[in-house]
Amino acid sequence: MSKRQLAMVMDLNKCIGCQTCTVACKTQWTNRNGREYMYWNNVETYPGTGYPKNWMELGGGFDAAGDLQAGVVPNIEADYGVPWDYNHDELQFGAQFRPNIEPTWGPNWDEDEGAGEFPNDNYFFYIPRICNHCSNPGCLSACPRDAIFKRDQDGVVLVDLDRCQGYRYCIAGCPYKKIYFNPKISKSEKCILCFPRVEKGLPPACAQQCVGRIRFVGFLDDEEGQVYKLVHKYKVALPLRSDYGTQPNVYYVPPTEAPPKFDAEGRVIEGSSRVPMEELEKLFGKEVHRAMKTLRKEMKKRKDTGESELMDILIAYRHSDMFRLDGEYYKDIAKKQGISLAPVDNRYIQGKNSVNKFKFKVVEYD
Amino acid sequence: MIKIATALLATTLATSILMADSIVLVKKTDRDVTKLTPESKAWEHVKATTVHLYPQSAITLNDKRANAINRGAKAKEAKVKAIHDDKNIAFLIEWSDGTRSVQRGYKSDEYADGFAVQFPVEYKNPEKLPYIGMGSDDRPVIIHLQKAIEEVYEPNGNGDVSMQQNVLSKNVFGKEAAEYARRVGALAVRDYQRSFVSEGFRSMTEIKDGSEKFYADMEYDANGWRGTLIRPIKDEYLSLKGVFPVAFAIWDGEKLNRDGQKLLSGWIAVKFSDYKGKDELVTVLTAAAKGDVVHGRELIEQNGCTGCHQISGLSGPNYAAPGLDNVGGYSTAAYLRESIVDPNAVVVPGYNRNAHPNTPWYNVVDGIRQSTMPPYPLDEKSLDDMVAYLKTLKSEAK
Repeated sequence: MSKRQLAMVMDLNKCIGCQTCTVACKTQWTNRNGREYMYWNNVETYPGTGYPKNWMELGGGFDAAGDLQAGVVPNIEADYGVPWDYNHDELQFGAQFRPNIEPTWGPNWDEDEGAGEFPNDNYFFYIPRICNHCSNPGCLSACPRDAIFKRDQDGVVLVDLDRCQGYRYCIAGCPYKKIYFNPKISKSEKCILCFPRVEKGLPPACAQQCVGRIRFVGFLDDEEGQVYKLVHKYKVALPLRSDYGTQPNVYYVPPTEAPPKFDAEGRVIEGSSRVPMEELEKLFGKEVHRAMKTLRKEMKKRKDTGESELMDILIAYRHSDMFRLDGEYYKDIAKKQGISLAPVDNRYIQGKNSVNKFKFKVVEYD
Repeated sequence: MIKIATALLATTLATSILMADSIVLVKKTDRDVTKLTPESKAWEHVKATTVHLYPQSAITLNDKRANAINRGAKAKEAKVKAIHDDKNIAFLIEWSDGTRSVQRGYKSDEYADGFAVQFPVEYKNPEKLPYIGMGSDDRPVIIHLQKAIEEVYEPNGNGDVSMQQNVLSKNVFGKEAAEYARRVGALAVRDYQRSFVSEGFRSMTEIKDGSEKFYADMEYDANGWRGTLIRPIKDEYLSLKGVFPVAFAIWDGEKLNRDGQKLLSGWIAVKFSDYKGKDELVTVLTAAAKGDVVHGRELIEQNGCTGCHQISGLSGPNYAAPGLDNVGGYSTAAYLRESIVDPNAVVVPGYNRNAHPNTPWYNVVDGIRQSTMPPYPLDEKSLDDMVAYLKTLKSEAK
């Protein structure tokens, strides 16, 4: 467990699946050098196969007794999808528009399909997913080389590329499959929560760019922060698949607002909801009932009285309130460590200058 | 006279079958051994020693498919040869492998064949060699690794961030873009060979400053792989003199082998052919176990060893302690004995304790790892018997 923990809250009621977050992340980090197929941030349709394909069935995480579970390393063509391109250059000479490979799979292959029968009870919603920067990371526990570490100052989980040997046990160990193998460098890479931005007081690119303003970022111990209020005060933001036992630090406001179902004659069934509660329970646990009750209660309160702190937070008025980061906090750490600038991460700096006979001190994780 | 000689030879042969792998004799040459490749004719003039490599079964890793494929994996025989000149020593290791697995291209779940050679930094006391699984505290090892991996880039190599950008971000077109791609391509490290210093497998650290010079190569033909490892006899990490121990490991990419998912040998004694001094190490590493195996097995059961350790055929819990199925193959008798009498002598930073928090193999007290296994200060005879039994725990070579 780190001293402090950064967390993100995503309000699923407002996610429109526009993939702006995905593109923000991709252009910032993953459009090059073997990362092309990776989506550190992706938005998937639920119900659906997700990314990588059927990630919830690929193992990893911990059982009730706390033992790390074996998992599977997904296949790049079959489970992630290899990025393809189109022959834009040739079109002016009259060529047919075609992809450079015959695509067989890719992220969002089943986008917007969802489940149920159109038009009576079909439904879907979007789940944006990044690394959960877990308090009990499956990837970290699986690594036989101590190449994955959790930063003390903010709980960000990072791969030490100097130590990583590309064994991929971390991928098997992560139940969210949010750590990836880079075939070009033969090492693992993952979402870094934009730590170089965070250290300067800026939110991760995915959160900054979100047009639906669904993402809140802050320290979980910052009681004035909106993240704290959503997670701990109102308890309306819940971790995804907490049954994997990794104690994830990305929280979701469950989709409360779903349209009603239609009957055989196409009439609205009053009081019905298209999103089955058992699906939400599977994703967010039993807590989801209480969270949705609170959300509805506060929504009504706001309608009746015009006042609700929770609704004001979820309306997401100002970025400065949604993103409670602290550049000064990191500057202080840098100063204490005698480093002039971010990144204030010792292991990242060490990686650049590793010397011979450098005796690695094994980190005992308690 | 001839009869006696034959009889003597017969007994030597008989004992050598019972004994651990015999020793590797390093032949002296006037030529430069750094020029040797796996294909060199010179190897034909060197006597081969057969060594056995056993499946690593002390810990189980968490790759479901790899675990299924490697369940009940068998040991393998390899042939080792060695030559030295004034400055360098060269090893050749040959092993069978039905498939040539090379890790290349845009793949996420393919693994490479490979081999590694391990040397202890200190080997004066043959009873206290480093732990075979990549050394132990204050008993460091140097490991040279060669893997059949093509074109690996090293992102932290020279910190040249400008060469890590997507071509679309470079504002270059046509020929300039092609030139950029060529320069980025030239940054690729063509051969995946690395040196490591390690004091227990979680502490293994790559030596990246080029201070550990070595040459390695591997070639595949219909029979399998031939790998060469050539390194200085003496450098700032190692000084190989007289008789010294060495260990080998091989990986089969087809079987999703990597890291601990591998076959490894025990410490093998290597002797410079012109060395005439003491060879206590040879005695220790090749001595046949002298105890009563049947009684040893009874003692293992009576003392409750299988309450934590897994041994095939005897029931034991998951995760509680290192599995012992091949411990007789890759551990020395001295190590086994030491571990029974004083489990704290070697406590390696093994797999992350957080993976199985209810069954920690050690606790950290004042920064020192304390084994959760209590010492068993048994009488000499009992220890001999237990060690003799443990030495029988190994899978047979196919």
